[in-house]
Amino acid sequence: MNPNLQQPDVSTNSNKPLDKKRKKRVKEWKLFGEGMVYLFPALLILGVFLFYPMVKTLYYSFFITNPRGDTVVFVGLEHYIELFKSSNFQNSLIQTLKFVLYTVPTGVIIALFLAVIANEKVKGIEFFRVIFSSTLGVSVAAGASIWLFMFHPSIGVFNNIVQTLGLEAIPWLTSRQWALISVSVTTIWMGIGFNFIILLGGLQNISQDLYESALIDGAGYFARLFKITIPMLSPTLFFVVTVTLINSFQSFGQIHILTGGGPNEATNIIVYSIYKEAFEFSRFGTASAQAIVLFFFILVFTVLQFKVGEKKVHYQ
Amino acid sequence: MGKRWFHHSLFVVFAFVLLTVVTACGNSSNEAQTTEDGKIIVDFWYALGGNLGQSVEEMVDNFNNSQDDIQVNAVFQGSYEESLTQVRQLAGTSEAPALVQVFEVGTKYMIESGYTEPMQTFIDKDNFDLSLLEDNILSYYQVDGDLHSMPFNTSNSIMVYNKDMFKEAGLDPESPPRTFSEVREAAKVLNDHYNGQVDGFSVITHGWFTEQMIANQGGLFVDADNGRAGEPTQALINEEPGQRWFEWLADMKQDGTLGDYGREWDDHRAAFLAGTVAMYLDSTASLAGTVNNAEFEVGTAFMPTADGMDPHGVIVGGASIWMISDIPEEVQQAAWEFVKYTAQPEVQAKWAADTGYFPITKAAYDEDVLQQRYAEYPQFLTAVEQLQNTTLTPATQGALIGVFPEARERVVNAVESLHDGADPIEAINLANDEINRELENYRRANQ
Amino acid sequence: MMKKIITYTLLLVSAFVIFFPILFALVASFLTPSQLNSGNYIPTSISFANYLKVFQDVPLLQFLINSFIVSSAVTVGQLLLCSLAAYAIVFIPFKGRNLVFFLFLSTLLIPWEAAMIPNFVTILNLGWLNSYLALTVPFITTAFGIFLLRQHFKTIPRELYESAQIDGCSRLRFYWSFALPLSGPMLSALGIYAFLTTWNMYLWPLLVTSNNDARTVQIGIRMMISQESATSWNTIMAGVIIILIPTLLLLFLGIKQIRRGLMSGALKG
Repeated sequence: MNPNLQQPDVSTNSNKPLDKKRKKRVKEWKLFGEGMVYLFPALLILGVFLFYPMVKTLYYSFFITNPRGDTVVFVGLEHYIELFKSSNFQNSLIQTLKFVLYTVPTGVIIALFLAVIANEKVKGIEFFRVIFSSTLGVSVAAGASIWLFMFHPSIGVFNNIVQTLGLEAIPWLTSRQWALISVSVTTIWMGIGFNFIILLGGLQNISQDLYESALIDGAGYFARLFKITIPMLSPTLFFVVTVTLINSFQSFGQIHILTGGGPNEATNIIVYSIYKEAFEFSRFGTASAQAIVLFFFILVFTVLQFKVGEKKVHYQ
Repeated sequence: MGKRWFHHSLFVVFAFVLLTVVTACGNSSNEAQTTEDGKIIVDFWYALGGNLGQSVEEMVDNFNNSQDDIQVNAVFQGSYEESLTQVRQLAGTSEAPALVQVFEVGTKYMIESGYTEPMQTFIDKDNFDLSLLEDNILSYYQVDGDLHSMPFNTSNSIMVYNKDMFKEAGLDPESPPRTFSEVREAAKVLNDHYNGQVDGFSVITHGWFTEQMIANQGGLFVDADNGRAGEPTQALINEEPGQRWFEWLADMKQDGTLGDYGREWDDHRAAFLAGTVAMYLDSTASLAGTVNNAEFEVGTAFMPTADGMDPHGVIVGGASIWMISDIPEEVQQAAWEFVKYTAQPEVQAKWAADTGYFPITKAAYDEDVLQQRYAEYPQFLTAVEQLQNTTLTPATQGALIGVFPEARERVVNAVESLHDGADPIEAINLANDEINRELENYRRANQ
Repeated sequence: MMKKIITYTLLLVSAFVIFFPILFALVASFLTPSQLNSGNYIPTSISFANYLKVFQDVPLLQFLINSFIVSSAVTVGQLLLCSLAAYAIVFIPFKGRNLVFFLFLSTLLIPWEAAMIPNFVTILNLGWLNSYLALTVPFITTAFGIFLLRQHFKTIPRELYESAQIDGCSRLRFYWSFALPLSGPMLSALGIYAFLTTWNMYLWPLLVTSNNDARTVQIGIRMMISQESATSWNTIMAGVIIILIPTLLLLFLGIKQIRRGLMSGALKG
């Protein structure tokens, strides 16, 4: 914390080169030490709660654990082999991918639509912007509870409407056909606020000059939307897609509240599957193997995204 | 310089506040906790929601008011599954409670987990007379002659039906269908009468009913006499009894008379009360609530049996209270006092009258409150009679499986696949295979 | 004119659809069970009975206080630790700082769920279950926060830093009296974001809390559902509305900061 450390060393000129080197090294170590003092708390937390557990998860994945969570038998890669042979886990992966496919594009497109209409300069627009952002302030538990009630088989509002129209009640959460869709709708709704805020900001950052010159060229609304807005927005869209994708992979609360992974594992997406294996059934081994698979999935998806994104994204 | 020091101290205060806020709630002593006026605190986790939960709270309050030395704190832990999950995570830590209510299928797991103090220890020490308890109930919970946990809430599965709908559809409300094919026929009649607006029959998607149906036909869930004679190695649910039950459900699914309201008990009850289901299988546990809230006459019937078979009876379902080891002796003693209180005839009678559970103590049937209740609501008697007609065999004693919760999950998946139109035999075979794998994993993890 | 009508129609319809669930919860929270069962959604009178009931049945206030303490502690912790780390990376020219920054960034790739099982064991061994420690300490540093603040610190002119040094201003003092105050909007954006995400945490509190001393509102709601769903969805909805109020309020008040902060994070990447 010595304020003089940084001052240019004028006195070293007359000294021997060896001395100079040593001094330099001392100074470097001092700087390093100082840096570490600032960094230590952050490194400690991330080390203890992210790096160490990551390694530990890998370790667990090679063992069978007893109900107390102690490692009992070393089984090598058996859990991984079992996982990929298991129809349940294959189902879980497929449902996860479907869930991602249902939620990410739709979620981003809806948010983009809202951002575009909320970017119009009309009276009272701030009010609409606040409403569209509101789901960011809705926690997963609160949001899922509301939807759980709306999906209720006999007294929920959706089936009320459906039956008023003279149709048969829909088993929103209890049929394999509907459950994943219902959970996806809930997830999309909860993500809208965040995506909307980011996309609206992106829209507002686009220079007005571009639009003005396009207007002079006689470009219509949709021409402007697809020729200017979307390309100029692509970095923001890229960010939003990345974040939504990662969030989607990690969805848990809405599933825990809405379906508990059922019916017949239709919504048992991977994070839920990990939770169930590890904490409901106390099988840390297989759960850890699944966690490692999740890690690689997210890694691969992110890398792919950046590879594809780099090409498609238009930077200013 | 002054300003600089001001900033430095601000910084320190900042960090200090953070630390204190964060450490405010660390507490891991292994001494008996007491209230300010010196009562020993006994934490009791329970897993019953709604009206049932309120009855538990009431029982605990009554106990707390009945003496001055012990304060029982009842904490709700969600469903049985969620509550067992919590126990698995916290047993052996200072956060574990003294008493915890665990569902019947967690029995073997709890014994083998090593986290529990057998109730038998206190029963022997205190010369508690076990012959006061109902035999069927004891036979479920006694393992190798020892009672590890005290039965708390016990129930049966019964068929509940809407008498008004029976009348309207031209069925006899006083003689409900008894066999698989009779139920199937009645469901068709009901369905047709209401032009498909009403589901003739439904069953809560819960493993418990599969267990009951197999037992009622005298079938076993696993080998080794349902795990009572040794460590089970083979699931037996895909034998004839299980097949008949699954085929029956699939048949009704094909008839279009089988409703699907998911895994939640409450959703089925809501559907029944709203008049969208005519007959369904339920636990007696919340019969009181159903009868009280219905705007029609509620009928109860025995569990349907496979055609041409005499019913063997039902397994006692519900939950028992476990005591956690590794807690101070005086807390255990205090906890035992509460456990004894719950088993008293008058407490049991009130409990049974308020809910629909059976009293675990024989003498409770003589209490006025329960007799009045049964006179007022003859629906309750169905379950009592069904329990008394049960012949005790390993089948009706119920299975002891370390991975029973996992096995239930597999069965539930199989039933759900039936609702999606799967082949019943394939579905039950799949579940059987999966349970076999669970059994093997359990044996390996506990070798 | 035509365009205005279309715009307003689109805005109104979208606003209704997006806000419908919240609106519906609000309406349901004033209904009686029999009104709900019959599908009659127009409240005949404003009655706060459900709100009183939810406070009686569920220790909602305790849950709210827990959530508030936990979220505040994480917010303060994140601001402090992330800004210290980002400051060191930007302003202390030690060797290997790029490596450290890369290390931080790489954690963005680790899904928290993949680390959850050992973390649970760690918390168990530390004896932190059911304490605020378990709910806060693992979260008081995030790579996202460090990244966001690093980007911002980089915009502070070097000359300012150098002249401050020549005036004998220590590093710590520059951090406290220049770097932090100059990052006000960014800090408040990160703060609000940290507060909201902590408030909304679900899986972790579910694992590490088992009694009402530390349970957060999110877990409280889950408990409330299994406790009340048999009888009174209206009470559950009243509970939901109560716990929505603080976050919605924070969001509405801080929406400008969040927008600005998140945007710069999203775009300058």
